[in-house]
Amino acid sequence: MATEAYAARNPAEVHTDVLSNARQACYKARDAFYACVEKESDKKQTEIASKGLLYPAECKASREEFVKHCRTSWVKHFDALYCKNKSLKRLLDDKDSRKGV
Amino acid sequence: MPFPRFIFFSSKQRSQEALNLIRRSGFSKKIQSRNYAKSSNHANGKTDIRPPMNVETPPASRSWGTYVIPAAGILGFAGIATFIRYNDERRVTLKGQGNNQCMNNVRGPIIGGPFTLVDTENHTVTERNLLGNWVLLYFGYTSSPDVGPEQIQMMAKTINILESRYNLKGLPVFVTLDPERDNPSHLRAYLKEFDSRIVGLTGPVSAIRQIAQEYRAYFKKVEEDGDDYLVESSHNMYLMNPNMEVVRCFGVEYNAEELSEAIVKELKRTST
Repeated sequence: MATEAYAARNPAEVHTDVLSNARQACYKARDAFYACVEKESDKKQTEIASKGLLYPAECKASREEFVKHCRTSWVKHFDALYCKNKSLKRLLDDKDSRKGV
Repeated sequence: MPFPRFIFFSSKQRSQEALNLIRRSGFSKKIQSRNYAKSSNHANGKTDIRPPMNVETPPASRSWGTYVIPAAGILGFAGIATFIRYNDERRVTLKGQGNNQCMNNVRGPIIGGPFTLVDTENHTVTERNLLGNWVLLYFGYTSSPDVGPEQIQMMAKTINILESRYNLKGLPVFVTLDPERDNPSHLRAYLKEFDSRIVGLTGPVSAIRQIAQEYRAYFKKVEEDGDDYLVESSHNMYLMNPNMEVVRCFGVEYNAEELSEAIVKELKRTST
């Protein structure tokens, strides 16, 4: 009755971008991008990612890979997570040297 | 709170004493002393022009009236205050006895209830189908970037540990909080990659909302961008006994080892 109607209404669409293969590709691209950002952290941060994250122009290619392989909401989520971790680390590491930054 | 009541009581006593004093003085006709008291009051301001003879009866009744009404008012007010305080004390929840999710003793609200969902083969599943099994229930969604897959992985590993090490059979159930995108065939493809034993449940939005409410599972769409959104949820895992009663719930801080140990402890506790 209700379940048949539900099954008929919803197409049997499988979103492949959250299945294992696509997910692993996304994770790999994400790690590559963030590794690049870490490596080039001393360069001038000119490009804008989402959620307040900035990155240098050298990492533009890996950024595009990252955005291509992952969903937009995931990209935003990972960016926010990265920013949070970075600010937390900064808070914990040099608490004595830089106050209020 | 007790302080104002103390004031009421003391003022009530004082008003009672004043009332008794006035009654005695009024009825024993010691008008002279009263008149002197009255004249001393009026000495600063107006002069007292009332002759002493006329003040025999009228002041007696008037003074009685003017003292009873405020006393009765204070009495009534104190009575109401006492009643309200008694009512509050009767309804109070003592500190430390609140309801806490994910604490060891689930003595709070009864979590759980009936539900009617669809599994990955498009069969209807109700809570009666799950009776007789120890169930590990997880509310999640397939489009979770990181926490979702980790939790499902952990759930699968826990079931494996329970079976291999402790010879206990548990049933893992995954209920999606995103029924609009997680249809049964998608759920099947997704869960197949983790463990074939995981039962995936989805259904119409109203049914999902009902079960989430019964199990107090919080979920909310965030980062909404048309069809692309994340679902913020409390990633809790519920352990239910064969009577479909929630025995315990676990948060994300548990890993597979800790989870299996806790489950075994729970099983031993109920069987002994």
